[in-house]
Amino acid sequence: MPVWQRIYEELQAELGDSNFVIISAAQDTGGEAVVGPIFDAANTTYIQIVDVDHTISTVFNFLNVPSAAWVDESGKIVRIDEGTYAKIHPFGGNDVYAPALIDWVRNGENSEFVQSTATVTKNIRVQSADELKAEAAFRLGNFFRAYGYADKAEEYWTQARTLSPDSVNYIRQNLTLSEEGSAGETFRGLMTSYIEGGKHYYRPLDLAEK
Amino acid sequence: MAAAIMAYPDLRHPFQKKSLNSASSATVLYAGKVFELKQALTDNALWVTPEDLTLINGFELKPEGACFESLCIPLKDDSGLLKQEDGRQWFNLTSFATLLEQPCVIDLENKVWSFGEVPAKRQGMISDAMAPDFELVDRQGKVIRMSDYKGKKALIITWSSW
Repeated sequence: MPVWQRIYEELQAELGDSNFVIISAAQDTGGEAVVGPIFDAANTTYIQIVDVDHTISTVFNFLNVPSAAWVDESGKIVRIDEGTYAKIHPFGGNDVYAPALIDWVRNGENSEFVQSTATVTKNIRVQSADELKAEAAFRLGNFFRAYGYADKAEEYWTQARTLSPDSVNYIRQNLTLSEEGSAGETFRGLMTSYIEGGKHYYRPLDLAEK
Repeated sequence: MAAAIMAYPDLRHPFQKKSLNSASSATVLYAGKVFELKQALTDNALWVTPEDLTLINGFELKPEGACFESLCIPLKDDSGLLKQEDGRQWFNLTSFATLLEQPCVIDLENKVWSFGEVPAKRQGMISDAMAPDFELVDRQGKVIRMSDYKGKKALIITWSSW
C-alpha cells in the first residue's frame, strides 16, 4: 500500500490531480476496525473503501486479493485480473507491474501495456451459475455475521466456498472465523493443492520482466 | 511466510448478537444494500410492491413489461409474476429472478432473501470490457460509483488484512 501511495503522489504532482484516481477496496468482513489502521498507517490519500461484502471482487469477477483493473477515461477496462502486488511480496509480486501502471497513466492508449478489448474480455473470468450463486450466499453470511449469528454466517460462508471452490477470497475470509486464522494449516494445504493441481494461485502477469 | 501479518482472525472482534428487525415482513439483500420491506407476501415466493421492486433492483413496471434501462422483460397475463391481493398489486421477485437467471439464496427462518447479480447487467463487461458500475461508500462517507470517474483513468485494486 505505501507503494501505491507513492505512485499516486508522484503522478498527482506530475499530471495534476484531475487525471488519475486509485480506488482501493479492502475485501474484509472485519470492517473498519481491522482495515482502517492499515489504510491510516500508509497515509493513504486516494479513495479508500472498506468493502465488507467483497462487492468489487463480485462485480469484476475477482477470486483473490490483491487483484486489479485499469479503467480508461471512457469506462473501458484495459487490463484486468492480475495478481498485483506492487513489489516483491512473500506470496508473489514483481517489479514490473507498478512501472507499467505509471506508463499507462502517462501515455494512455499509446502505452504498450494497454490491452485490446479482445484480450481483456478473454482475461475476464467467466463465472458458472454456481459461482454467481456463491456471491449471494456469501452476502447472506455477511448479513448474519453483522448481526452476530455466527452459526448462520458459518453456514452460508461454507455454502459460498462449496459453490465457488476456486475463490480464495471466500475460503480465506471464512478461515478468519477459525482459531488457526487465514494463513494457517488449512490455507497452506490449499496453496499446495493449487500448485499440485497445476492451477495458478494468481493469474501470471502478461508482462515481461525487464 | 509472514503469518502474523496476514492472519487476522475475526475472533479478535467478537460477535455481538443483535436482534434482527422483526418489524419488517422480509429482508432483501442486493448489490451491497439491505432492504427491510415493511410490506411483502411470503409464501413459497417473495411478493413485493412495484415501488419496492424499483427500489431494490431498478426495474420499473411499464406497459411493455418490467424495464431496466434498455432492457424490458414482457409480463404476460399468465406469467405468474403479478397478482392482486389485499387491494393492491404485488410482483413476484423470486420468479422474476428465476426468469433472469439471477441467483438467490434464502434463509426462510429469518425471512432473508439474498440476490446475486442479474447476469444481463454484466453483459457489457463480458462482451465489451466496459467497467461494471458499483456503488459503495468510502471511509469519508462519500458515495463512490464507477460511473463518477468517466474522464479519468482509474486503478481499481483489492486487498485484505487476512
